[in-house]
Amino acid sequence: MSAAAVFVALAAFGVGTGAAAGLLGIGGGILMVPFLTLALGLSQQTAEATSLVVVLPTAIVASLALRRRGVGDLGVALRFGVVGALGGAVGALLALALPGSTLRIVFAAFLALVGLRLVVDGVRA
Amino acid sequence: MTDRALRTTEAVGDRGTQRALDVQLVAIGVAGGLLSGLLGVGGGVVMVPLLVLWAGYGQRDAHAMSLGAIIPISVAGVLTFGVAGRVHWLDALALAVGAVAGARIGAGALARIDERVLKIAFGCFLVAVAATMGIRA
Repeated sequence: MSAAAVFVALAAFGVGTGAAAGLLGIGGGILMVPFLTLALGLSQQTAEATSLVVVLPTAIVASLALRRRGVGDLGVALRFGVVGALGGAVGALLALALPGSTLRIVFAAFLALVGLRLVVDGVRA
Repeated sequence: MTDRALRTTEAVGDRGTQRALDVQLVAIGVAGGLLSGLLGVGGGVVMVPLLVLWAGYGQRDAHAMSLGAIIPISVAGVLTFGVAGRVHWLDALALAVGAVAGARIGAGALARIDERVLKIAFGCFLVAVAATMGIRA
């Protein structure tokens, strides 16, 4: 594929991840990182770094659109996000010291449990 | 929008705007950032369920709060990785051009969607992410 075709394909994929991110309240890295590693052959680290650069404008645009509509509270969210950024630095350091596959299994189990709980809550509501 | 959806939005909206930064929200921010740094995934998949199941936010407000918190978290990540020279800038630009347009569509849908449908959809999304991670681990 030519460079221009890759650019267009990536932009089209970006529309999908951006829409999913805005709806689901996530950054979209969980969708972009596998795509960048599998489809473009980027290394895990480069894919994560590149995805973070995309997550930032996505979250800003979605947050401003939601603030206009009165959903959530951006001021409070930004403040606990700043604390979260400090947690991120600690997490990155811990990642170097802990076994990755164990972490992933524990995290996957956590997501499966809370995901099922939300589905059950939603169906019962 | 249905009457029910309107009521839900107002009810949680009130709680959202009145709430100050407390220990619970700080803990959720740290959990989101920590797992983001640990596993290289966005903090959103952690923060949204904690905001709903633990902090008692409505599903819609929790998604908006998570997006807001992701802003400073990703700034820190971009600075760290950017300084390390790991970013593929052309790919990032292409994705961002699309993602910014998509984000408006997604946020518009989030503001309108029925909360119950949103909760079920997000729950299914988490289970799918868990399954994918389980297979890769």
